[in-house]
Amino acid sequence: MTNLSRRLFLKQSATVTAGLAISFHLPSGIAATPGDFEPNAWVRVLPDGTVKLVVHKHDSGTGTQTALAACVAEELDVNPMTVQVITPENPFFEAYIHPVWKVFSTGGSTSVSLEYDRLRMAGATARVLLIAAAAKQWKVSPDSCTTEDGHVLHGASKRSLGYGELVTVAAHLPAPAKVTLKDPAQFKYIGKLRHKRDAAAKVCGRFKYSIDVLLPEMLVAVIQRSPVIGAKVLSVDSIAALQVPGVRKVIAIPGRPDVLGGNLEGVAVLADNYWAAHQGRAVLNVQWSESPLAGFDSDELAKAQIAALDDKTAQRITAMTAGDVSAQWPNAAKLLEADYRMPYKVQNPLEPICITAHIKGNGITYWGGVQVPSSALEAAETVCKIAKDKVTINELVSGGSFGARESKYWLFEVAYLAQQAKVPVKLMNSREDEMRALFMHPATLHRAKGALDAEGRLTALQLNAVSPASPEQWEPGYFERPDKMDYSTTEAITAWDFAYRAPHLDLAWVKHESNVPSGWYRSVSFIPNVFAVESFMDELAHGAGQDPLAFRLANMKDRPRHVAVLKSAAERAGWGQSLPEGTALGIATNQGYTSFIAIVARVSKQDGVTKVDKLTCVVDCGLAVSPGGVEEQIYGGLMWGFGHALFDRLDIKQGRVVQSNFHEYRVTRMSDMPATDILVLDGEPSKPGGVGELGSPSVAPAIANALFSLTGVRQRSTPLTLG
Amino acid sequence: MIEFTVNGERRELVEASPSMPLLWVLRDHLKLTGTKFGCGMGLCGACTVHLDGVAVRSCQLPVAAVAGHHITTIEGLSPTEQHPLQLAWVAEDVPQCGYCQSGQIMSAAALLNTGAAVNDDSIRNAMSGNVCRCGTYGRINKAIKRAASAPKEA
Repeated sequence: MTNLSRRLFLKQSATVTAGLAISFHLPSGIAATPGDFEPNAWVRVLPDGTVKLVVHKHDSGTGTQTALAACVAEELDVNPMTVQVITPENPFFEAYIHPVWKVFSTGGSTSVSLEYDRLRMAGATARVLLIAAAAKQWKVSPDSCTTEDGHVLHGASKRSLGYGELVTVAAHLPAPAKVTLKDPAQFKYIGKLRHKRDAAAKVCGRFKYSIDVLLPEMLVAVIQRSPVIGAKVLSVDSIAALQVPGVRKVIAIPGRPDVLGGNLEGVAVLADNYWAAHQGRAVLNVQWSESPLAGFDSDELAKAQIAALDDKTAQRITAMTAGDVSAQWPNAAKLLEADYRMPYKVQNPLEPICITAHIKGNGITYWGGVQVPSSALEAAETVCKIAKDKVTINELVSGGSFGARESKYWLFEVAYLAQQAKVPVKLMNSREDEMRALFMHPATLHRAKGALDAEGRLTALQLNAVSPASPEQWEPGYFERPDKMDYSTTEAITAWDFAYRAPHLDLAWVKHESNVPSGWYRSVSFIPNVFAVESFMDELAHGAGQDPLAFRLANMKDRPRHVAVLKSAAERAGWGQSLPEGTALGIATNQGYTSFIAIVARVSKQDGVTKVDKLTCVVDCGLAVSPGGVEEQIYGGLMWGFGHALFDRLDIKQGRVVQSNFHEYRVTRMSDMPATDILVLDGEPSKPGGVGELGSPSVAPAIANALFSLTGVRQRSTPLTLG
Repeated sequence: MIEFTVNGERRELVEASPSMPLLWVLRDHLKLTGTKFGCGMGLCGACTVHLDGVAVRSCQLPVAAVAGHHITTIEGLSPTEQHPLQLAWVAEDVPQCGYCQSGQIMSAAALLNTGAAVNDDSIRNAMSGNVCRCGTYGRINKAIKRAASAPKEA
């Protein structure tokens, strides 16, 4: 791999703002490659006609490269499946800053929904300039020219020029004052994509992942991290490890408790290859200190979480409120109360975390799937005192993330090792490391209370979600916001995501920290919040003697898209029709990322065996830029939700993570996966919603609700028992 | 010295220890990185290769055990990268992150090699040792059926 030349983008002051065509145009003369046409951060046209589209978002298998390239390509009028798609030459160009989070990052199902408009503008702006260049050459009006697949055409004179032939002129034209976007009815690619760009390379072993990086003089590092969370290194006996053939160095890595989300202490074994490093680690003898978490037991956590509910000093932050719930309890015809629990869960991308770094001179270069470039900058700056403009990233697609690659401990570790080893270092996690790498999805407890009147109407609903703050490690100071709100912890229970309306509402987050590091995880707090809300709505419906679908619809106001997916999913699954003996349905729904989903689970018991037969799912995500991609993201989400319902559970005993590999931490296999029926509605065509994290949250409550319907037994903690 | 055949080519291994798993010999010595590391315990199938045409987990196979045998990796499945399974995988747009797909395809190829009937049951049996975390099982099922009904590779 070559060290790509640094671009000059950071030096220019023009900002890129969606909707303002003129600001897309960079002053001429700053292009890094003389002769190329680089009208903005996303389009490159070379004199030989090569078109390169820049995708500045990390692709962990979600198809963002294809979908985002299509947004630019559609307006530029080139084929997104055949042009080149590249990662940024300089990922730290300010145009690539996440528009909401203000850092260089990918996540939160935001890539397509938040970049859609400005990527189309980028393509359209480039197209206007190329048309203007052709019109100038032909001495005709730009309005009389059209484009088609990388060419500008002048119909009247039957002339045509390829984009490559226009770059010299186009590069010196002034930015257009305004740009008109295509009428969606004219789309050739957006809304029609059925394939991703990279499938062919991924089926023959050619596709390169972080684990495949190979550099001269490179050492492979594995790290022994503390078996008890939070212990410190007292001493290291590396004699045996250094005797393993191929082992070169043993390096103790200091912890960075001063950094939010920073690495804990560890000892690295560096070797010529993975197997040697792995064997060296097996005979490494590290003495660890006592840890404050040595007494921590995840089975006991619920007690502390329940205690937090009664703790007047606990921080209780209201997410949504109406009326006065407490005044309603004495008047209720029926009162229901229930606690719901979900355990720790771990992301387990199939490619364990892997990253290569090399420090040369006063700069650092990373190779690998870096989902949050800002964390790579932070690691370089914090650990190695390397200036921001000396950080280079050779970005690769990663073998799954699901939140794992939004952590930063490994970037800190590899930066330290690269500095100490003075040669390229490839840091590799094993599966056991991945299970015990911490920054997992936190265990939660929810207490719900609801009041029904004599007619079975929901009059008051209270929910207390006991959970640690998820983004605290990443967003110092967020808790000092005026609303004190942690939006990543209160998903699905704030005014815009909570589906139901009762006269009296009190939904709140109770902040309870266990001091076990927690991290990002696909669908984040939607998972426990939707499990609690949708289970409890089901309990209320049964308490009111009403059909769970009808009860939900009766308590939704002004939510046409939500109502539509619920009704559609129910109809497809045969809701309300007679079912075979020993079969039952359960329904659940959620909204998020401006998309809507409803899921019906069908369960059955035959010959004493209970199983989930089918998940029926209807989605409204507005415009599906890549319908094939949306379908597979939803299928993946259903699989994740199925795992939450039946398998996912990480235990911590005496401060140690219990599970070590897939024999102890069960993940969904083909033989587990129920039949699926996924319908993506033709949604509002002006805007795409997010889908990557939409699919999973409603699955567990839909299955729990179906099991209740089948057995009469309500299960309120996951993993559920099929019995 | 250990001798075996990889993708039709005779290889002699001098440096590696006999206990080194075949996976790491393939990846680190022979630079055949299409075979992936997922769990190191034979539980996820990412490292699946063929030993004399039968699917095995290369992370659990000491290289000494393959002496004299024929190994096929994803790189050697088809000289043209046009194996019916590879074509079907593209047609069904199976891969998401793609990391597990080398192993998935090698397991599927071993199923087709047996000549057994290809149906939901046989696919489930052959493929349930291969973990996909993105969620491609539905499309894998379709792709195997597509490949099974495709004309044989020329």
